[in-house]
Parts: sequence; structure tokens; C-alpha cells
Amino acid sequence: MADQNQTNFGRRQLLARGVKAAASIAAAGSIAYWLYDRNGPNGDVETRANLQQLPDLAVPRKNGQTLSIVQGSDRTKTVNKAIDLLGGIERFISPGDVVVIKPNVAFASPAFLGATAHPDVVAAVIRLCYDRGRAKKVIVTDNPINDPASCFAISGIGKAATLAGADVVMPKDNLFSNITLDGGVLIKDYPVFTAPLEDANKLIGIGPVKDHHRSAASMSMKNWYGLLGGRRNIFHQDINTIIAELSMLVKPTFVLLDGTTTMMTNGPTGGSVSDLKKTNTMIASADMVAADAFGCSLLNRKPADLPYLALAEKAGAGTADYESLKPLRAEVT
Amino acid sequence: MRLLPGRAGKFESAVGTLYLFHLVLIVAVLLVIQSLFDLARFGAESGQQTGGFLPVGEAETYDTDNLYEKIDGKAPMYQDAGFESLATQRFAHTVNAELGFEHYTFDMGNSRNAFSVYSRQKRADVIDLNELQFGYQTTNGVYFSYGKYYVEMVGFAESQEIIDAMKILAKKLLAELPYDEKDEIEDITLFPPGTIAGSWQLQLKDAFAFDGLSDTYSAKFNADGKTVTIFFSKRNNSDDARAVAKNYTDFLVANGAKVIDPNVLDFYGGTEIVFAAGYFIAGVHEADDRDSAIKAAAVLFEHLNKISEKTGG
Repeated sequence: MADQNQTNFGRRQLLARGVKAAASIAAAGSIAYWLYDRNGPNGDVETRANLQQLPDLAVPRKNGQTLSIVQGSDRTKTVNKAIDLLGGIERFISPGDVVVIKPNVAFASPAFLGATAHPDVVAAVIRLCYDRGRAKKVIVTDNPINDPASCFAISGIGKAATLAGADVVMPKDNLFSNITLDGGVLIKDYPVFTAPLEDANKLIGIGPVKDHHRSAASMSMKNWYGLLGGRRNIFHQDINTIIAELSMLVKPTFVLLDGTTTMMTNGPTGGSVSDLKKTNTMIASADMVAADAFGCSLLNRKPADLPYLALAEKAGAGTADYESLKPLRAEVT
Repeated sequence: MRLLPGRAGKFESAVGTLYLFHLVLIVAVLLVIQSLFDLARFGAESGQQTGGFLPVGEAETYDTDNLYEKIDGKAPMYQDAGFESLATQRFAHTVNAELGFEHYTFDMGNSRNAFSVYSRQKRADVIDLNELQFGYQTTNGVYFSYGKYYVEMVGFAESQEIIDAMKILAKKLLAELPYDEKDEIEDITLFPPGTIAGSWQLQLKDAFAFDGLSDTYSAKFNADGKTVTIFFSKRNNSDDARAVAKNYTDFLVANGAKVIDPNVLDFYGGTEIVFAAGYFIAGVHEADDRDSAIKAAAVLFEHLNKISEKTGG
């Protein structure tokens, strides 16, 4: 009898404790769900991406002021001069603009190795946008190949952008939206890093001149690869088409192509100073096909060596015959 | 059977003890595996200093599916050469946060694959590492091929302190990475005297953009003070070598080369020489100076013919 009582008491006790435990688990789960931050610790942009197409952020063309080529080793000086030759930052940035800068931050690599854009160039452009363009806000963003935080930190671009007053936006899943490019073969219902561009009036691309194992060169147009999400390596099989499609998808205000040092070999990652050559050239252009066509010469290549230039030209993204634009040239010391 | 409350019976105690024992065993196995894998394997034991540098974070590993997440556009080059896995580890100086480097160990499956990716990426104007057959340093990096591994150490600054630490790590790796005599790259000994040591390259396939030219070694050759690129590929027999030589010549002609002599072609102002020597197809590639190219070709032809005859080709 005593044993029977003991057993009944144990079952009741067990059930009661079980109910209490379940209630505790449910409460803890609810609190965790309520407190969970889907944007993570770096979220500057709270909106969810919902663009269906990228906006056309180009400014009207001015004959004779489309492409500038400036010789010099001081990036801040060459950036300023190159943009001044095109009419000054005021031609491109208006007071109150929201400007998105998309540097190439693909790799967790220090800037001196030339695998990424240089922080001095990024900082110089941010300062121009704020000081002379009177922009309301400047956003610096990219969807790097390597871990984004490491890329922005090791390249020095995160620090440079922050010090110059820009907001740095790291990629997160909810900042991408699926886009289909009209006339595109590869960009079909494909995730693109659109959220930073939701409220943007202007878009500036900044990239280094690099050798690239797959596409022969990585310059202004290849830089937009950093707006793609998903398993974008699938596009390596058709690299020329994807670069040409990016030139159709993205219509920037202007691009800066940094050939102060050029990665001549072992691109796109490089890794050794021996891969680099001092070419002391900064290119600013409202025509990125022309910029890249000129950039070939820094790599000792011809535009014909880069099939994507002809494809982009055919698609109407610009001209590979950069001399026809009568590039403005200068040298700064 | 007893339920709560009260003291557990012998059976419950035994089951509980068994569970605890299994948990301890699992933890122990995990610790052993962790201690054997990655970090120790690649000479970067957690917390262990290497020349004033400490590993930062966990080692990362990549396979053929996700290699692009680390090296993007360069991934196909490794994958085409037999890539199997990559382990990387960052190091930071214990005092100066500006100093650091990253170390990459590519497992390329076999020594020929590793040598191929090493040789194709070898930088110019480097300092050879004497302790290694295939290794060099630049102002910010150390690179070598050892057995089936290709190793890169990339400094985040041009610093002797970083280079010194990399060399210490390289020594640890050499002591740890497996190596077999079969890993020797013997074919580089087939180049004739006059070949510039260290300039060897191995292209496993599609050498000089021709898809019929596989396993092709090339190197710089000093022809009376002028440098030209010579090459050879060992084939199954002399008939095969002659057939590939003809196909490669036809390929050059189809792409604009003009035949100057049965073996000498003018290719947009440069000189290409193609011939079969025993079971080798060989020649000179992209020479600026035709006379030097012909001299180099003559030396190479005689040298390879002798080897072929000696070895029954």
C-alpha cells in the first residue's frame, strides 16, 4: 500500500514538474524570439530590400567631359584633379543627395596589395561629396567575397569611411532582393544587394586595376560583381557575359578606376608586392566601358583581349573607343 | 521501480553512470580530434607563438564547393589543377597590431599538381629559399611547394619581422607535412644545361592555349646572353610526339602564324619553334629574337633526343 501511494505521488509530481518545465521553456523561447535582432550588430539600414530594378543614377553627359586621366602617385590629389577635370564634384552631387559609394572590398587583404580599392580614394571621394557636393548622406557598401567585417577592417576601408563621416553598410540576407535584368541571360530572378540603393540619388564605383585569372582584368565593371548575392561563382563559367550584364544593370553616376598601382599578375587576389607595378594613374569616367578600355593599357593588354568590353559596348553601356571621348589629361605632383 | 522523490535504485544509478561515462567519452574524443586536426596539422597550435605572432581566431578550411568564398576568381585555376582542400590561418603580432600575415595551405592531391600551381604563380625578382627545392620569398610573403602541398604566406606589411615569423612557421610545416620520394618533380632535370634554375613551369593542360598540349614543362633558357622560353612534353612514344607537334603547328597556323621553315613559325613578329625529339614534343615559345630561338631549339633538340634514345624512346 505504501508502495502504491509512493508511486501515485511520484506520477503526479512528475506531471506537475513536466508542465512547469514546458511553461519555462515556452517563456524563455518567447522572450528570445522577441529580443532576437535579425539585422545583427552592424545594421545601419533597417529597411528590407524591395527594389525590383536598380535605379538609373547617371547624370547627363557633357561632351568632352566624360573621361579624365591623371598621372600622379598621391591618390588624394589625383582623385581631386580627375573629378575637377570632369566639371567638379558639383556636376555630379547636388545638395541633399544620398550617395552610395561601392568600392571593391572583395578580399580581406591590406590595401597596399592592390586586391581592393584604396581607403585614401574612398576617403577623398566621401570628403568631396560632403564638403563640396553638400551631400546629406554618404553610404559605403559592398558584398565582399570573404567575411565582410574582415574585408572592411583589413582593407582599411571601413575605418577610412567612418572617419570621413560615411555610413558603412554590411551585407545581410534581408538587404538583397531578386532582380531580373531586361534582356539578361544570367541575371534572372537573382539576389542583388539593393537595400543601400533604396534611397540613393547617386552611385559611385571605385575599383583598382587588377589582373584576373578568369576575366583577364578586373576594373570598373567587374566591381559591380560585388552587388550580387547567392553562389555567384556560378557566373565564372560565363564571366564575360556576367560582366556585360552588370554594365547593363548598374548605371552609376561615375566611376573611379585606380591605377596608382596595377596588379599585373596573379589576380584577382594577388598576395605579393611583386605582383604590382607602379603605374601612377587615376581615371574618372562617366563611361565605365571607356574607363576599362583605357585601364587595359595599364595591364599591357588591348581592349580586344577583354571580350566583355565589346559585349558591354554592344549593349549600349558605353564605348571602348575611349580616345573618341577626347579624354582630359593632367599630371599632379 | 522507484520514481521521484526518493533515492535512485541500483538500476537507475547504473544507467545514469553509463550516460555520464558516454558524455565524458564524447568530450574526450572531441578534444583529441580537435588537437589533431587543422591547427596542429598546419603548424599553428592555438596559443602558440610563432616569432612573436599568435594565431587569430580559428583556422578556416575550404573544399572544392566553397573555395571561391576565399579566392573567388582564382578558384578555377586551383580546381583545374586537382585542388582538394585549403586551410588558412591568420596571425597577428602580440604587440604591434599593424603587423600580421595569413597562411594558406592548399592540398593539391599530388606533387605535380602542387608544383604546377606554384610554378604558374611564381613571382619575378624573388629570393629563393635555400632549404627548399621550390620556395621563395618576396618583400611581404613566403611561398613554396612541398609534396602535394602548395603554401602561401601573405604578409599584411613589408616587414622583416613578418618574414622571419613566416620562415619559422615554414620550418614547422616542413617538419609536419608528409612527404614521399614519389613526390619528387623529376622531369625538371630533363632540361638542358643553360636552363635558368627556378624558372620552371608546369602546365597540366592547355599549354599556350592549345588543348592538345598537356603536362608541358617550360623554362627560361640562356641563349648566348639572350633569354628565351623553351618547353617540352613527354608523350607515350615518338609517333604520338610527332602527331602532337603537327597538331600544335596547325593550331598556330590557324591562328595566324606563318611557316618560315618546317619547324620555325613567325607569329605576329615573334618566333615559335615546334618539333618532335624522340618521345618528346618540344620547342621555343614567344621568342623576340629568332636567332636565339633557333640556337636554343638546337640545344634542346639534341638534349631531348639523347634522353629519348637512352631510355628507349
